Amino acid sequence: MDTLMQLHFSQAAQYLVPVLLHGFGVVVQATLLGFVLATILGMFIAIGRLFAWKMVKGCLYVFLEIIRGTPLLVQLVYIYYVVPLLCNLIASVFGVKLDVQIAPLTAGIVGLGVNYGCYMSEVIRGAIVSVDQGQTEAALVLGFGRYQALLRIVLPQALRSIVPSLGNYLVMMVKDTSLLAYVAVNELLLRTQTFASQTFFTIESYTYLALAYLVISVPLSHLVKLVEYKLKTVRR
Amino acid sequence: MFNIYKMEKKFGDLEVLKSISMHIDEGEVVCVIGPSGSGKSTFLRCLNLLETPTSGEIYYNGVLVDHNLNTKKLRREVGMVFQRFNLFPMFTVLKNIAYAPMHINKMKKKDAEELAMSLLAKVGLADRANAYPITLSGGQQQRVAIARALAMQPKLLLFDEPTSALDPELVGEVLGVMKQLASEGMTMVVVTHEMGFARDVADRVVFMDKGYIVEEGNPAEIFNSPKQERTQQFLSRVVMGV
Repeated sequence: MDTLMQLHFSQAAQYLVPVLLHGFGVVVQATLLGFVLATILGMFIAIGRLFAWKMVKGCLYVFLEIIRGTPLLVQLVYIYYVVPLLCNLIASVFGVKLDVQIAPLTAGIVGLGVNYGCYMSEVIRGAIVSVDQGQTEAALVLGFGRYQALLRIVLPQALRSIVPSLGNYLVMMVKDTSLLAYVAVNELLLRTQTFASQTFFTIESYTYLALAYLVISVPLSHLVKLVEYKLKTVRR
Repeated sequence: MFNIYKMEKKFGDLEVLKSISMHIDEGEVVCVIGPSGSGKSTFLRCLNLLETPTSGEIYYNGVLVDHNLNTKKLRREVGMVFQRFNLFPMFTVLKNIAYAPMHINKMKKKDAEELAMSLLAKVGLADRANAYPITLSGGQQQRVAIARALAMQPKLLLFDEPTSALDPELVGEVLGVMKQLASEGMTMVVVTHEMGFARDVADRVVFMDKGYIVEEGNPAEIFNSPKQERTQQFLSRVVMGV
């Protein structure tokens, strides 16, 4: 019992909870912007892989393989540390002196967006293909062009059918924001690490951290289920 | 309106259409009949370039139909009704019909919806304007699809087996609408298995088999005294009881 008495959950909470609350803002910001970027990128990659010229299709395929074949953490580190250095190096080859730097949060958002965009593009591509060809033809014979038929008729139906899987990616992304700690984004994990190393409330701090993620991801995944249910009951 | 010379269509090695020559005149109702796989649908889909013919020439009102022709413009003048309706599931019936006039002809929303309502009244579905397609019967969906095609005020309508996906008791309501259109002078090309409709409504019946036009003529000629043996065989199998 003595050992257990050494835990200071209430004391830790007193200091850590405000710190975590500040971190929530960063998580929300990174997730929302990252998800918007991922969705847009995913849509472009999906459409490109379906309809673009052979060259573009090939390039997209290679890009996809690179992103899906490397860990998100490595990509984040690469974007944060290596990409600016590469820019400076290339500029210096052309005799221009550059000092490109990328803000931690920007690197994190770009990393999340690109990584998730690649995975989501496959889901979106499948959804576009699975929309009945007759829908495209119906739009074409009314006088819509190929791209209009795709944007106005096919894509809305495709996106509607994948709201649940996109929702799951959103919940996953919330949790993956913890990786941004490694590129110096002051999110939940980094704040907790700092706090724990200063106070030695190791058990308490990381327990609260885990709880903090649960507080976001559990309601969010229920929200996704609710939206899925709504979409099922309304039409189709 | 259409003049077709030696049109051919191949899918890979498969020759679906072999040297099709025919014409379609304004105000005419042409019914295309024939066994499955005879190329009827492909023929129809070549007319509005849903399929590109492999060779041959199609003239639409004297203008050669090819890549230089404005395909979108052609399709606005040549409407099409599909076997499987292909209504847009996320739109209401009204929006299905008003959508193309609004976005292609840049009609005002109010005008487009008025047009849609008048067309719905014409096909007898004014009371279902705010329903979603999924809640309608097949016959009702097909009538909406006809109204949707009419909303672009086409000069010619193509029907690709419009009643083949319907329960037998729903066929009549769709054919009724088509008969009414024919009596109003709409130019129509109808691929169909409804021999009764072809006999009663068509000005000309075209019998196709294995990618060729075997025989064409007015319904009386084709149904009462077909000249070709292949036509006789087909009709004796299909028409029994009509």
